[in-house]
Parts: sequence; C-alpha cells; structure tokens
Amino acid sequence: MNEASSVAPEERLVNLAVALMATEQGLTKDTILRSVSGYREQADSGASKTALEKMFERDKENLRALGVPIETIGDHADPDDLREARYRVPTAEYALPEDMTFTPAEIALLNLAGSVWSENSMSLPARSGLRKIRALGNEVDAEIVGYAPRISVRDTAFAPLQRAIEQARVVSFTYVRPGESTARRRRVRPLALVEYEARWHVYGTDVTLGAERTFLLSRITDAVQITKEGFDPSLRAGAGERALHELRELAARQEALIEVHPGTEAALRLSRRGRSAPQGILVPYVDAHILADELASYGPEARVVDPPHLRQLVIERLRAVIALHGERS
Amino acid sequence: MSASRALVATERAALIMQLVPYLLERGDVALDEAARDFEVSPAQMRGMVEKLTVIGRPGEGGFWSLPGDLFDIDWDLLDTQDRIALTHTVGLERAPRLTAREAAALLAGLQLTGSLPGVSDSALVEGLLAKLARGAAAAPADVIVAPAPVDQVRERVDEALRRGRAVSFSYKTPDAAATTRTVDPVKVHIADGQWYLQGWCHLRQATRTFHLDRVSDVEVTDIPVTHGADPLPALFDTLQGDIVARLRFPEAVAPLLGEFLTHAEIETSGGMATATVRLADEGVLRRLAARRAGDVEILAPEEARRAAASWAHAGLAQYEHSA
Repeated sequence: MNEASSVAPEERLVNLAVALMATEQGLTKDTILRSVSGYREQADSGASKTALEKMFERDKENLRALGVPIETIGDHADPDDLREARYRVPTAEYALPEDMTFTPAEIALLNLAGSVWSENSMSLPARSGLRKIRALGNEVDAEIVGYAPRISVRDTAFAPLQRAIEQARVVSFTYVRPGESTARRRRVRPLALVEYEARWHVYGTDVTLGAERTFLLSRITDAVQITKEGFDPSLRAGAGERALHELRELAARQEALIEVHPGTEAALRLSRRGRSAPQGILVPYVDAHILADELASYGPEARVVDPPHLRQLVIERLRAVIALHGERS
Repeated sequence: MSASRALVATERAALIMQLVPYLLERGDVALDEAARDFEVSPAQMRGMVEKLTVIGRPGEGGFWSLPGDLFDIDWDLLDTQDRIALTHTVGLERAPRLTAREAAALLAGLQLTGSLPGVSDSALVEGLLAKLARGAAAAPADVIVAPAPVDQVRERVDEALRRGRAVSFSYKTPDAAATTRTVDPVKVHIADGQWYLQGWCHLRQATRTFHLDRVSDVEVTDIPVTHGADPLPALFDTLQGDIVARLRFPEAVAPLLGEFLTHAEIETSGGMATATVRLADEGVLRRLAARRAGDVEILAPEEARRAAASWAHAGLAQYEHSA
C-alpha cells in the first residue's frame, strides 16, 4: 500500500464490476487491462501481459463467486476463440429484481430467520443477505420477540460439503458405520444437507454403489475432499425434500418397543414421540445406534423389549460404562 | 456482533458493493451505525468509504476522464460530523442478488422460524421462500431443517407469551419429584432441537430455564406477567453450578457433547481431551457417561464416577433378569 501506483485488490474488483456493468456491447480483455484502474497501473509499472491476464481470470472467478454474473460474448464464427471475446455484466441479473419488495411482516420474519445460526460460516452470509434485502428500503415491523431459535453446525464436514453441493462436485471422505471397525472411503455426489432430529446429514449418490445414501456428518472421520469431478447440477433439484421424505419413511417403518418406569425422565421423553402399547411405548427411530445411545443414558429407567438388535446395542453400551468406570487400578 | 474481523479482498469488495445501495437507501448515516450494520470497525468503514471515492468507470483512452466517472461522497459531512452521504454514483445502485450461500442461510433459517407456533403463517413463509429463491444469483445448496412437531405444551406456552400471562405447569427434572410451577414466560429458546422456556419462576422467585419436554399439564393463567422485561442470562449460563466435574473423552467426541461444553475448560493431549465443567446437578453426569458409553469417562467427583457404574449396572440388571 505504500507505493503510490498500487491499487488495492478490492478496488480493482469493484472497478471491474462497475466497468462491466456500464457497457452494453461488452469490453474486450485488452480494453479492460488497458483502461480499468487496478490493471492499468500494473501494466504501466511493467507487469507482464501473462500476469495481468491471470489476474483478470482470478478476478472474474472471485466476482462470480460473489454473485456477479459475468457474461462472455465469443466470436460467432468460432465460439471457442476467446481472443476477441467481450465481457459484460447484465445489470438486471446482477441486482435484485426491480419488482421485488418485502412487506414489514416479511422483514420481521427474515430478521429472525437470519439470526438462527450459531457459527460464523452461516451467520455471516445470513446477515449479509439481510443487509442486501434491507437496502431495498423496506419498512420494518416490530421485532418478533419471545423466540430465540438456534441452529448449530459443529461438524467440520458441513462447510466443504456445502461448497461441493454449490459447485456440483464429487466429494470423498472416510465414513465409519457404527459396529464396523474399518472405516470406508466413500465417493459421493452430494445433493443436500439435512438437519433431522438435531443431527446433520448429507444426502447424495454414492458413486461406487450407484445408489442414493444418507450419511451422518458426525461419522465422517477425516477432512472432506472436494474432487475435480463435477456432476449435473440438475440432480440437486428437490434432493432435500427427497432426503427428508426418506428419513421420515424410515422412522415410520422402524419402531422399538420400550418398557419405561412411570414418572422417570425416560417415560417423559419417550412418550412425547412414541405411542403407547400394552407392554410399553412404541418409539419410531431412524438409527438404532443413536437410539441406543439415548436409551443407555436412561439406565434402569428404560428396557428394550424389541428389536433384539437394539437390545444388544444397549447392553453393549452399559457394559462399556462399567468397564470404563470400574475400580481404578 | 459488531466486532471487526480481518477481511480478505473479495469480502471487502463485496461489502463495498453492498455499501452503495445501503447509503442510497439511508440518505445519510452515522459512520458508527454503518460500521455496526456492516460488522466492521468504524476505521474499516471509513476506509471503505474513502476507497469508494477512487472507484468508478474507466475513462476514455486509459485515463480517468472526469470526476463524474467516480463515486463521490459529502466530504464535509464525513470530516466534521462522522456521517456518510453519497453525492454521486456511477453504478451499483440497486442491491446485488443474494449469493447461493446467503440464500441458503436465510432459507434454512426460515424453515425453522416458520415452524414456530406464534410465527408461522404458511402463506407468509411460502411467499418468502419463493422470493429468496428468485433473488438468488445461483441455485443455493439445499439446506433443509426438519421442524419438530409442535405439541400442545408449545402452543400453550406460545399463547401465554403473546397474551402476556403467566403459565402454570408440572415440571419434572431427572432424579427429582415433580413440582408445580407458575412462570412469567419471557423467551422460548430452541437449541439442538430442544425447546426451553426462560422466565420468572414464582416458586423460586428467580429466573429459571425449563426444558419443555419435562413440562406437562400446562395452563395459561389469568395472572399478568410482571417480570416479562427482566434481562435474561444466556441460555446455558443458568445450568452452571457449584459441582466441579472432570471428564475425559477422545477429542473427536467433543462435538457430540454440544452445549455441555459451552463453559468447559478443555485440555488435550494425545488425542484425548479432559474437560472441567461446573454443574448444578451431579445426576446429569451418569446419564452423559452412559449416552457416550465407552467414550466419556468421569474422572471426578468420585461419587459421580461410582454413580455412573451403578447406573449402568442397574440398567444391565433388567436384561439379566429377563434373559
């Protein structure tokens, strides 16, 4: 910043956006590098054409990531020849639609919706989105008080998976299925992220199996790798609803019969989501291991009658507690 | 929320592009207020505004042709009153579309807030979902938040909140007898899918937090609330107490312990973490140790450690009898 000739990169980025919005027929790369402030100064101070072109490519990508729709108008005779290509940003596609307005009640609800995220990775974009909407000049209703809903994303896999879904790219990660000692490497086309019963799942196509699967983020044991392999973005359409539907179907199909002691924590919590049966409570569940975790926490307050598989999982857990908390040597 | 962050160039560019429509909408605005709205420091905001005045359209022949090609502000206003007003714009006047990420964050938040009993007006929510989708620059990743079903307890609590009346209910904490409470409701918190009511408890004469799954027989009373505007402690602060417990678990398990570790001091070594937490009720420890069986070990207090073992023994005994 000390050099008089250096222009801050954000300045160059915004100059580029403004220049591309101000042109109807588009600007060639040469014109841009010669005239847009930020490139011009670098050219004057002797930067090579290759370096400038690289910078321009990066800047285009960065602006696109910010939602600035940069159009490339190629040569009609040879669309692959980009030497004479012109670049422009159609303002109608850059800006929020002209006819879009929000009522005071909508803004109040959006303010609350934008406040739910606990972690910066989602709360910053939520508030940034709100700022854009508020800049449309909407009136604001009284704040919605009385509620403080929060969504947490503690799984480190969330951010890379979300990026991979946005970019429609295949991911790979190591996944441990409970009860299996060996973790397996998965290649997945991620389609949607779903929070169900306070746990995050990623839904997608397991490329190796060629079938749709739902994975619990907490069972991913390493850093999610985003590969270079892309997939058809249209596969994402409606994926979230499909995933949710499958989870609900699964819960409707699987029921555990649990005996509970009346008046206990177990009785209170399980009866809320189950239905009573002659011998106890029928509790729907998605994942036997997660239900077994909960049932183990109830200790003597709850006993699994059925299915035997679940009973075994609870017994294993209780034994593990005893092993860990036995007499100290 | 207004704490300033280190920003990369792309983030700064995004903020500058949002700043123009924001300033146009506000007319003129105090530097501090703009800084708060953009979550930057006043110095960062001043820097962005000053930067804006050297940004503009390229001039003919490789030079800035006229000052009219650049954004400009009312410098006097900024220098003398620390207020910002735009005097000339050369583009960016209307707010940009939402990025895929911004749209996804708001859409998911809307699914959760739209499911609240007193808030949900399905036409309003549906309309907003459609608008956000239309206002996005690129298709947002599907981020779905499945709402928990709203039962009568939640509906009654909501009614009491909105009517400004105390609510009475039976409350059963683990390992204690049920008590009947009358509470001035102040706020419903939802965290990790669990619903909590914070309010003034007439029995304890203090602010208390109630897990709604442990609440039953709710009635909305005719007693007007008198403590509705009291300042509230943060949700999980109220759970702290005098018992100092130490737990050991594999580091990778920490995310599964969630809010339990909010105020914990954690030391790690060799992939294992040791957490020191303050609790009001020792009883939660044996339940926690059993929920994370084999992973979470209670190191102290000694009684809690023994309680965990006997809790598991008692649980196991049920199966040995039946087998």
